[in-house]
Formats: sequence, C-alpha cells, structure tokens
Amino acid sequence: MPLITVNDGEAAFVCEPGDTLLRAGLRSGVGLPYECGVGACGCCRGEVGTGEVIDHWPAAPGLSDRDRRKGRILACQCSPVGDVQLRLRLDPAAVPAIPPRRRTATLVAVNDVTHDIREFVFRSEEAAAFLPGQFAFLSLPGVERERAYSMANLANDRGEWRFYIRRVPGGDATGRLFDTLKPGAEVGLDAPYGQAYLRAESPRDIVCIAGGSGLAPMLSVTRGYAARTARDGRRLDFFYGARTPADVCGQAELAMLPGYGEDLGFQVAVSDAEAAQAAGWTGRTSLVHELVEATLGDRLGQCEFYLAGPPGMIEALLQLLQTKHRIPPERIHFDRFF
Amino acid sequence: MKMLCNTGDVPAGESRRIELPGRPPLAVFNLDGSFYVTDDTCTHGDASLCDGEIDTDDGVVECPYHQGAFEIATGRPAGAPCTVALRVYPVEIRGEAVYAAVEEVETACP
Repeated sequence: MPLITVNDGEAAFVCEPGDTLLRAGLRSGVGLPYECGVGACGCCRGEVGTGEVIDHWPAAPGLSDRDRRKGRILACQCSPVGDVQLRLRLDPAAVPAIPPRRRTATLVAVNDVTHDIREFVFRSEEAAAFLPGQFAFLSLPGVERERAYSMANLANDRGEWRFYIRRVPGGDATGRLFDTLKPGAEVGLDAPYGQAYLRAESPRDIVCIAGGSGLAPMLSVTRGYAARTARDGRRLDFFYGARTPADVCGQAELAMLPGYGEDLGFQVAVSDAEAAQAAGWTGRTSLVHELVEATLGDRLGQCEFYLAGPPGMIEALLQLLQTKHRIPPERIHFDRFF
Repeated sequence: MKMLCNTGDVPAGESRRIELPGRPPLAVFNLDGSFYVTDDTCTHGDASLCDGEIDTDDGVVECPYHQGAFEIATGRPAGAPCTVALRVYPVEIRGEAVYAAVEEVETACP
C-alpha cells in the first residue's frame, strides 16, 4: 500500500486502495486541515514533492488559477499511485477526536419531515461514534460519487445514524434515496468528518441557525447541548430560515428536549412574502439573519454560533456576524461546502 | 488619520503588522512603492496575514494558515476558503510617514 510522508517525516501514513490522501491521513489520526472534504473549501491544499497522484476533480472550486499555477493539489481530491511525499501545513486542531472509518450500514426507516425533506435512519453493526454536528459520506448503490450528509442525532451504541436529506430535483443521489432505496438496503458509510461540531467546553450562550436540510447538524448540536448533565445558566437559541411556510420544520424535534421554551428557544422566519401571505402565515416574514439580529440585539456579540444551510444564507450570516458585528471567526462554526 | 509607520519600515513586496491599542491589528503592504493598509487578521481564521506570502504580480496576499487569499488593494477574497472581504483603509503618505484613516467608518467591499 502507498506510504504517504508529510513534510519530510513530520507525519506518515498508509493509504488504502480507493482512499484519498485526506481521508487516509485522518484515519491515521494525522491533522490534515479540511472543512468540506468535497473540493470546495480549499483548506486541504498541498504540494506533491515526489510521487504521483490521480486528481479526481482537477477543476475543483477549492483551487484558484494561482493555486494551479503553483502546482497545488487538494488532498481531498487526490489518490496516490505509489509512495508520495506531500508538503502541507498540518494543524494540531485538525487531528480528529474520532478517526473516521468505513463501514456498511443498513437502511431501517424513512420518515417524512416536510414536502421535500425526509429522515433516513441507518443502522451499522458497531457503535455510531461522532461529535454533535459532524457528517458522513454515504456511498449509494448505483451512484458514482459519495455524498456528504450530516447526522441529526447523537452518538450511540445502537449503531443508529439519522440523516435529514432534502430532495434535489433531478439529483442522482437523492433520487436513489427517495425513490429506489427501501429498508433493508445496504450503503457504505464513512464517518465521522467535519469541524463544525459542538464545543461543549465553551461557556458562551449558543446560537444555532439552520436553513433547508442544515436542520440536521443543528439539531445534533442542540441535542448535544440539551444532553449536558446540569443546567449551567447558558441558553441556546435556535433559528430556522424557511423559504415558504411548507418548508418550516424543526419545532417538533426541539420541543421534545428538556428546557424547551425556557433556556432553549426556537424561532422561524419565512423569506418568501408571497408564499407566506398565500398560506396565511402569521409568523415572521424576513430573511433569517434579520430575525437573528432583531432577536439577539446586544447579546449577539457574546454568543457562540453554529450555522448550516444554503450558501446565500451562510454568506448573509457571515456579513452580519463577522463584517458588521466583528465576531471573530473562531466563534462561528460551519463547514464550507461551497 | 493615524500615523502607522515610516515608508522605509516596509520594503517593496513586504508587509508590516501594526498594533494599535483597542482595535484589531493592521497590516501595511508595499506593492512596488504603493502602500495599502488592511486588517491583519484573516477573515477565515486566527492568522496574521503579515506572516503570509505576498504575490506582487497579482497584488495578492496569501494567508499562511490555509492559503486563502485576498486582493491587497481592495480586500476582496481571491481564493478559498476566504469569502468574507478584508477591511481596507484609505492611505495617505505624508513625507516619509504612512497614515491611514483607521478611525473612519469602515466600509466592506462587495
């Protein structure tokens, strides 16, 4: 098996056939920096010194033209052909708390959440080990590339993995999940991944902001917070941004958690004013970042933020939190899938 | 306007970090004799852009942390994972001193 050496011996690991440099390194507990693992965030850039790699996606958006001119590669998109010497800045903070592993999982249940989001429940033989807010790569029968989906539940010994997945019109993977896959079907599940996990030790109030199927990791973070053993004076505010009233979700799950309505708040904004009116929506009509700012007011600067949702929502939130209110990026947790 | 340093303190193609009390650190860049002042901290993570590599031809500074990049003159993100613009401040050279309007209302670029 190919041996990968990083920075002339700072770290070394073997790469199983079919694995990428990034995933093989993480499996061995090496601190390769990354956020998305799918070629978008650009955090796992490096250079190949000696050796040869196959680049699965040379046009990945995580590389700029300048990066390509400098001969850089993305560790998440490259597999080694033989031994490789890699130059890449390692990050102690990226050493995985739980090294990811590949396993087989069986679909055991499918539940409707909204008109286009479903909960898919899988079961694996060994325990489901992950941090609240992390994601998995699923390889589905008949679908060429793996897809990244976030878990909505918490780690458990039953081997249960719960995903909330939104149907992508014309999408290969969600078409397979929604239309073809039946309970009993087996998939490949490679997990856990992701840096936007709950920082349980932080003493700050928590704000979770979700849009679309970003509900899943934010539910997981909130469940992680709610599972703490003692009320500690902290609170968590959960905001959900929906396009139309039919897209609103999350309340049923949150209402089952201890402290709901007390130190666990839930608020929704619907962004499509026409659809809101047509449906007789009496709640808030605005973009979710406007709701966050109006609700938190002066508290905003003191909180720890977790975000998951479509790119436009994340960008608007970053403008609000980082540019306008100068909240340092270390207190804003999200994985950049774009 | 605040005086940050002397022009001679920042050789062409290099940068210098300036710490003023009560505000995030600043970076002074010299691109072939033109001076620019931006925030020093990368908008993606806690890293000093003055420790990063300057690409004079492209007018870009690369963060030492994840090699994200910004256009020095405008603060625009120029490479993943950076998407939030860096603040830039109007600069004036008076004699041999670099001044910047750091106290003025800061505007983010598009």
